[in-house]
Amino acid sequence: MISASEATALVGVGILLTALYLQSESFVDPLIRGIALQSLLVAGLLAGLAWTEQSIELAVLAGLTIAVRSLLIPYVLRAQLQSFRWRVREVRAAHRVTSHALGAVALAIVAWFIFQETLAPIFPQPGAALPFILLVEGLFMLATRSTTLVQVIGYLEAENAVVYAGALFAKSFPLFVEVVVFLDVLGVVLVGIILSIQREVTGTPEEASLSELSG
Amino acid sequence: MSAPDPTFWLFLLLAAPAAAALLALVPYSRVSQLASRTGAILSFGATLGLLVSRTSGVFGSYLGVDALSEVFLFMVTGIYGTSVWYSAGYLRDVHRPFLTPQVYYALLNAFAFAMIATLVVTDLGLMWIGVEATTVASALLIVLERRPASVEAAWRYTIVASAGLTIALFALLLLYTTTGTLNAFRLAADPPVPSLAIELAVALAIVGFGTKIGLFPMHTWLPDAHSEAPSPVSAMFSGVLLPTALYALLRVLRVLGTPMPAMISDLLLAFGIATAIVAALLLQRQRSFKRLLAYSSMEVMGLATVGIAIGGIALYGVLVLLVAHAFAKSAAFYSAGNVLRAGGTNRIAEVRDLRHSMPRTSIAWVLAAVAVTGAPPFGTFVGELLIVVAAISIGAIWLAGVLAAAILLAFIGVNFQIGRMVWGERPPGDPTSPPREVPEWGVAYLNVGVALVVGVAAIPYLAPALRSAAALLGGSLP
Repeated sequence: MISASEATALVGVGILLTALYLQSESFVDPLIRGIALQSLLVAGLLAGLAWTEQSIELAVLAGLTIAVRSLLIPYVLRAQLQSFRWRVREVRAAHRVTSHALGAVALAIVAWFIFQETLAPIFPQPGAALPFILLVEGLFMLATRSTTLVQVIGYLEAENAVVYAGALFAKSFPLFVEVVVFLDVLGVVLVGIILSIQREVTGTPEEASLSELSG
Repeated sequence: MSAPDPTFWLFLLLAAPAAAALLALVPYSRVSQLASRTGAILSFGATLGLLVSRTSGVFGSYLGVDALSEVFLFMVTGIYGTSVWYSAGYLRDVHRPFLTPQVYYALLNAFAFAMIATLVVTDLGLMWIGVEATTVASALLIVLERRPASVEAAWRYTIVASAGLTIALFALLLLYTTTGTLNAFRLAADPPVPSLAIELAVALAIVGFGTKIGLFPMHTWLPDAHSEAPSPVSAMFSGVLLPTALYALLRVLRVLGTPMPAMISDLLLAFGIATAIVAALLLQRQRSFKRLLAYSSMEVMGLATVGIAIGGIALYGVLVLLVAHAFAKSAAFYSAGNVLRAGGTNRIAEVRDLRHSMPRTSIAWVLAAVAVTGAPPFGTFVGELLIVVAAISIGAIWLAGVLAAAILLAFIGVNFQIGRMVWGERPPGDPTSPPREVPEWGVAYLNVGVALVVGVAAIPYLAPALRSAAALLGGSLP
């Protein structure tokens, strides 16, 4: 029988694997499904912690994670994708998928070493390094991908990392539910409004190369 | 009659822009405008009320003010008011706006509310929410003019600022795990024992909030958002949004007590110097006058960060610099907005001979340009001088030299380009008709006047607040 902390670490490894999978994928639909799965795993982890800790806040967070990041935002992203069937693959990233995947693995190792050297004594829980690695992976995706739909996925991954870290280390963090709701609002604003405006004004979800914005 | 309770001013400060945001949605643009103007006047009045009553303390579980918050409130509510005033004319000249005037005013008031809320809460988590809320409220304002470049700028702003703030949230999680509280006032009054975890949390906060402050290399959203936003919004971005994010960082830094650990001051110094130098160099090659102003703001934020790292009298200099810069830079953006509205272009090369075509705007613009670049006798000069003197006083002559070089480069870069637009001759046979003066030229004069007064006189109530705020940060006074 595995302990609760070992089970948490095991789900954490699953979350990390989804993160590495996302880095190696250039087709947008599987990326959306991947982030939905990752959010579901985070929600499962939150639900498990809510059960063991008898915490209503963590249960609310689990519900929010499923509702917003596992269902609503992926649904909206897929609806956006329907309008751009020709854009089912991130063309620029497709040429660099191998280097992205290798870079992501290298980053995960570096983040793990940094964590061990600096924060491990403060956070001795099994799998404590995983949310930090997940954050780095999310930021890496944001920085290296050029399609707005995929950048949203990077943002959601970073948000998953914050929720994961908060649930693991700072369960009594004041206003944590409110903070996560706020991040979700921003996610919905990002996805729902700006992407729609972008489609209307520029006709593409691809990051434009505009000479006006150079310099 | 007794003076109102401080909680009354706090209530008014928050309720006025919140109510204005809601009332602005009434489907009559005149009502939106009137509600916004009333909200802005009331919140500025409440700030004056706090300054005059020298309110300091914690009210309830989450609200609190001191001299530091009051100085920043003066900036935010001041620029909020002038931007609301300037918006009416600006909106008139936006053809095919993406937002209706009602939604524009609602978002502008919500943007101001988010900044004000950031400045009056005691909890660092709530402060983080406030800074994040500014992103939500302001991102849509950038796309007002429905241009592809605006949408792109809004996207970059949202994604980069949010990524930075995610790092800041991680920093707060770490800080909370180590200290058990996020009450900034309590942590400042009784700083925790220094540890690697706390220093790491503060270092992450510098990177996280630094993204919103516009520190190099996390600044990439800044020139795009400032140049593509409508001018009244650019004024709020440059004048007060960046300082509001800096305020949140200052509150985190206070957790360390004084003097701050060498690792943190070195990190601030590195970010500050890099930001000031890179911005001063980049602004030399700008083709858009709004981007030119954006890089100038970045340079000022770099100087302010260096001042915070140095401490001592530099902290007083930082506060004076921020206040004067907020008013001067907003004046510069209002003038830039006038030129953009009248000429239909933001290209430096396409604007010439403004002294004849737009004489009132051009004088305000020249005054604002010399003010933002630290010319005497404006408050920016006093602030920058104090930072350089503080560098010399700690024996860092090299640092003083680097700062002076950045200031000089920015001064030449900004004033040369604006000088070309004001005094440059139009090419002979230019078929385009020269731009005409717009009615809203007066707002820029008002703000550049405040930047001047901050430099030459001790403004009643504000001057003591500036001194108290510097002392609160552990600074010495000139």
